[in-house]
Amino acid sequence: MNTRTPHSTHTRIALALCAALGLGALTPTEAAERIALVVKNLGNGYFEAANKGGQEAAREIGGVELVMTGPTQPTAEGQIEIINSLIAQKFDAIIVMANDPDALVPVTKKAMQRGIKVISADSAIAPEGRILHLSPSNAQLVGEKLIAMIGKTIGGSGEIAVLSATAQATNQNAWIEWMKRTLAKPEYATLKLDAVVYGDDQSDKSYREANGLLATYPNLKGIIAPTTVGITAASRAVVDKGLVGKVFVSGLGLPSEMAGHVKSGAVDAFALWNPIDVGYSATWIAHRLVKGEASGKPGEEIDAGRMGRIKVGDKGDAAMAEPFTFDKTNVDEFARIF
Amino acid sequence: MSLNRFLKQRETLLALILVAISAGVAWRAPTFIGLANLHEIATDSAILIVMALAQSLVIMTRGIDLSVAANVALSGMAAAQLSMHAPWLPIPLVLLFATLVGLALGLVNGVLVAWVRIPSIVATLGTMSLFRGLTFLAADGKWVAQHEMSAAFLAFPRLDVLGLSLLAWIGVLGIVVAVVFTRHVALGRELRALGGNPSAAKYVGIRETTLQLFVFAVAGAVAGLCGYLWVARYAIAYDGVALGFELQVIAACVIGGVSIAGGVGSVTGTVLGALFLVLIYNALPVVGISPFWQTAIVGAAILSAVILNARGDRTDGLRLILRRHPAH
Amino acid sequence: MMAATVIPHSPVPVREPILELEGIEKSFPGVRALADARLSIAPGEVVALVGENGAGKSTIVKILTGIYQPDAGSLRIDDQPVHLESTQDAWKQGIAAIHQETVAFDELSVAENIFLGHHPRRDGPWWRGGGLVDWAAMRSRARELLAQLEADIDPDTPLKALSVAQKHIVEIAKALSHEARILIMDEPTASLSQREIHDLYRIVAGLKRAGTGILFISHKFDEIFDLCDRYVVMRDGHYVSEGWIADVDSDQLVSMMVGRTLTQVFPRVDTVPGEEVLRVERLGNPTEFDDVSFALRRGEILGFYGLVGAGRSEVMKALFGITRPTRGKVLINGREVQIANPEQAAANRLVYVPEDRQVAGAVLGMSIKDNLTLPSLARLFPNGILDDAKERALTREYGLRLVVKAASWDQLLSELSGGNQQKVVIGKWLATRPDIIILDEPTKGIDIGSKAAVHAFMSELVQQGLAVILVSSELPEVMGMSDRILVMHEGRVRAEFDRSTMSAEAIVTAASGSH
Repeated sequence: MNTRTPHSTHTRIALALCAALGLGALTPTEAAERIALVVKNLGNGYFEAANKGGQEAAREIGGVELVMTGPTQPTAEGQIEIINSLIAQKFDAIIVMANDPDALVPVTKKAMQRGIKVISADSAIAPEGRILHLSPSNAQLVGEKLIAMIGKTIGGSGEIAVLSATAQATNQNAWIEWMKRTLAKPEYATLKLDAVVYGDDQSDKSYREANGLLATYPNLKGIIAPTTVGITAASRAVVDKGLVGKVFVSGLGLPSEMAGHVKSGAVDAFALWNPIDVGYSATWIAHRLVKGEASGKPGEEIDAGRMGRIKVGDKGDAAMAEPFTFDKTNVDEFARIF
Repeated sequence: MSLNRFLKQRETLLALILVAISAGVAWRAPTFIGLANLHEIATDSAILIVMALAQSLVIMTRGIDLSVAANVALSGMAAAQLSMHAPWLPIPLVLLFATLVGLALGLVNGVLVAWVRIPSIVATLGTMSLFRGLTFLAADGKWVAQHEMSAAFLAFPRLDVLGLSLLAWIGVLGIVVAVVFTRHVALGRELRALGGNPSAAKYVGIRETTLQLFVFAVAGAVAGLCGYLWVARYAIAYDGVALGFELQVIAACVIGGVSIAGGVGSVTGTVLGALFLVLIYNALPVVGISPFWQTAIVGAAILSAVILNARGDRTDGLRLILRRHPAH
Repeated sequence: MMAATVIPHSPVPVREPILELEGIEKSFPGVRALADARLSIAPGEVVALVGENGAGKSTIVKILTGIYQPDAGSLRIDDQPVHLESTQDAWKQGIAAIHQETVAFDELSVAENIFLGHHPRRDGPWWRGGGLVDWAAMRSRARELLAQLEADIDPDTPLKALSVAQKHIVEIAKALSHEARILIMDEPTASLSQREIHDLYRIVAGLKRAGTGILFISHKFDEIFDLCDRYVVMRDGHYVSEGWIADVDSDQLVSMMVGRTLTQVFPRVDTVPGEEVLRVERLGNPTEFDDVSFALRRGEILGFYGLVGAGRSEVMKALFGITRPTRGKVLINGREVQIANPEQAAANRLVYVPEDRQVAGAVLGMSIKDNLTLPSLARLFPNGILDDAKERALTREYGLRLVVKAASWDQLLSELSGGNQQKVVIGKWLATRPDIIILDEPTKGIDIGSKAAVHAFMSELVQQGLAVILVSSELPEVMGMSDRILVMHEGRVRAEFDRSTMSAEAIVTAASGSH
């Protein structure tokens, strides 16, 4: 369902109408449980995809109605107004992809005081304003995924290199650290990391660094670039050097920005969290909270349907899964979404 | 010894340094001076060379254009958007479009500096941010990725013409135009006179406003051209394109002996300055120096080149250098 | 030799001098600024240093204030030899100067200007703020100094808010803040009104009473006679004479200033002036000059004499289109012309060789060739494409005509001597083939040899039928070269002389504004 809620005083009426319509359309009997998915803004493919996953979960659970809503512009004010109206309508749970971690805290606190289960997903609300936060992934999962992916592409053995953003980028360095730890495992003993270089997220520098890797390591078979500028530059360098099929590029990137490189053959597979899965898992977790089957306490493992058990971390942060793999079989489909 | 001959020697000195760096890198990685890599460097330096030549005109007239990189980003984004929405458009038209966008942006600088009389460093500092912001707005914060650009759009700078990429040829063309302009066109002479002594230029009837408008327009148009080339070469358009590139351009000029005080500079010097930077940028990844040291090394290289130049400006300093470098 | 060289017997100062200069020499590349300077100043005495432009007065001031160091000679203070290596040294010795152009910082306050470079500092250890600027002391001392000068100026006012006269008073207060025993006043009244000059007189009288020795430099004879006790005359870097002001009159002073240099041979060949090429009628602008009228004929050199600031260069700039006159008419070859910029002046074949060749004439970073052809580019290459052979031919022609001494025409101008630079600057304008050429101080600051070359060349020009305007502050040059001389004072033409009527005394008197 694609409920476009006007960002105005009519929100309440509109929402009530939509809810009523959904009510009639989805279930023959009155829905026992209503969950709202508040996205950053409407009309964005990424959130449409999240909603798609949420509806999938709602169908699997049964008796749950999921309503996607959000402001037309990605502002915290718009989200506050919408959450207020959701409170008035006595929704059972609210999943928020927050535009601002702190600005939303008062209103979500109010919702929780009224017994509404509030969680954030993808973009967090500060801890005091939600029961838990669902991250699409975490550094360990990303690092493991990147190594597994390149290993599969180059046939399990050979030399690889990493083309990162800046040498100071915290998240990139965390991923690189986990890549190194993963490589230390016996099953990856046949993969050799030649170098880690930094392209500073600049297309020209990334391109030169990629060229440098190709020149310095003639036996190089794979370049991992956990940044879109890096993966683009490395792919370009592989194509320009005529090394397609000999050297493969992999990493993290949006399908819409990577589709061309998959087509050129420079990229076999790349990864990113899948918004469908985010929406799916968040809906399952919200449902478990409403039913009292989970509390959201740190250390708890929550069953999220096909995504398996998701563990709640120290600060109420739950990492969903390893990133989702995109390759030539699905990239075009996802490129249309995000 | 005449200073003119000395100037030529200063450029010889820079050329010798370039050869020395190449030789040093080749010792570690012989492929560095292979034909393929030299071609790569020729292609890689083209954008910096033409941009530095345009900037040198601005600096020559005692100005500076900090907005060239932002102009590259905005014109490049405009060209990418055009290609996305009209992929059938012949590439020369896209090129012309990008150049015109750049020219319009350059004229904004020109008007601010020549007519509104804002010091160029302030005016272009402002337009630098303005153009970057517009780049973001032009695409609503989105990127234009490879598959959204037409094949011809991407292929153009890579076209092989007589064994050299078209991009490298554009660099060559830029050098030829610059040489002809500074040596054989009256306007080129007048620019130097204006930078060398604005008040004397005024007495000769040289119009400062017209010339300032001209140099910023040229810098803008060249930035526009480079905008297309950049986006096509790296197959991506986003608001961070060429971030910090203006400093590389200015560094190339300064290393090449263009005086920030105006009136002094040569095409040869500027081209060598640009080659020096590109050589360093390309050599560092190959020699396997820790990436954490790279930025510092580039900075040190720039400083040494500039110090060498500054000392060369004084005759006694020159003799010192020549004694230490007896090679001719 | 001048007829009336009255050299009074050197008087003995009443008191022991504070300051004594003897046999001071100072040379710059190509120019000898001082050959034999002598001077003494006693407490409470005002000494006038007189001489023409270029006599060496400014060099003496710079030596006394530690900006230049003499090549030879002795400088004694209280009978002790001293070396002044910097302005700070001069201050320590109690010598302070008020300069022609006030050296001041507009954005700083009056008190800060007065104590710049020697702020009062707080006592005590540094952790209690010792060594920091003592603002309170600075303000109160500034207030005292200003009160001493009977000036109603708040020490906290930013300098830019003051009038020119008030700035002068601040300059004086600054000099006094050094507890100056010798105060040098270099053209202190140049930009003051009559009433303000009167205030200055009062201040000088007060300083005299307090025992300060004052060196007074002025072109205005009435001031010299009103204020000074003694005079010292300089000419061409040499000491000429000294004496009591009471013993001389202005004619005698002028004779001593101008002296024998008039005997210098000028290569002036008599020419028969042709038709009128330039007529200027009642030219004026609101601030700099007014009611300037004159005519100029082919083959004629018209001299413009006057003191610095008399408005001569301003008239020339207006003729050349650098500035715009607001009143009056300019006719060239009988036709009225509007000249709004230098291009239009060149189109009317009128060119101007400006006074300050470093600033307004030469492009030092360019070659001789590029400098010489610069104003002719538009004429020679109307389509904007240069032809090197043509440029070289032009450069050769004028380079040789003006005897420019250089290794090659590609040599940079910065490598040439001042005289040769000046030849190139004149050459570049001649290369435009003008009918009228205005030379503003063409021989200022260049060596004797180059001077002679420029003079010879001027004669050659008028013989070829050009009309020349010579603006010069050197009396011998103006008198030796000109067919007629116009004397300007305070923006107006005060007198006109031709070869039969011109005399040094009359010209100097007219220029000083006396009657």
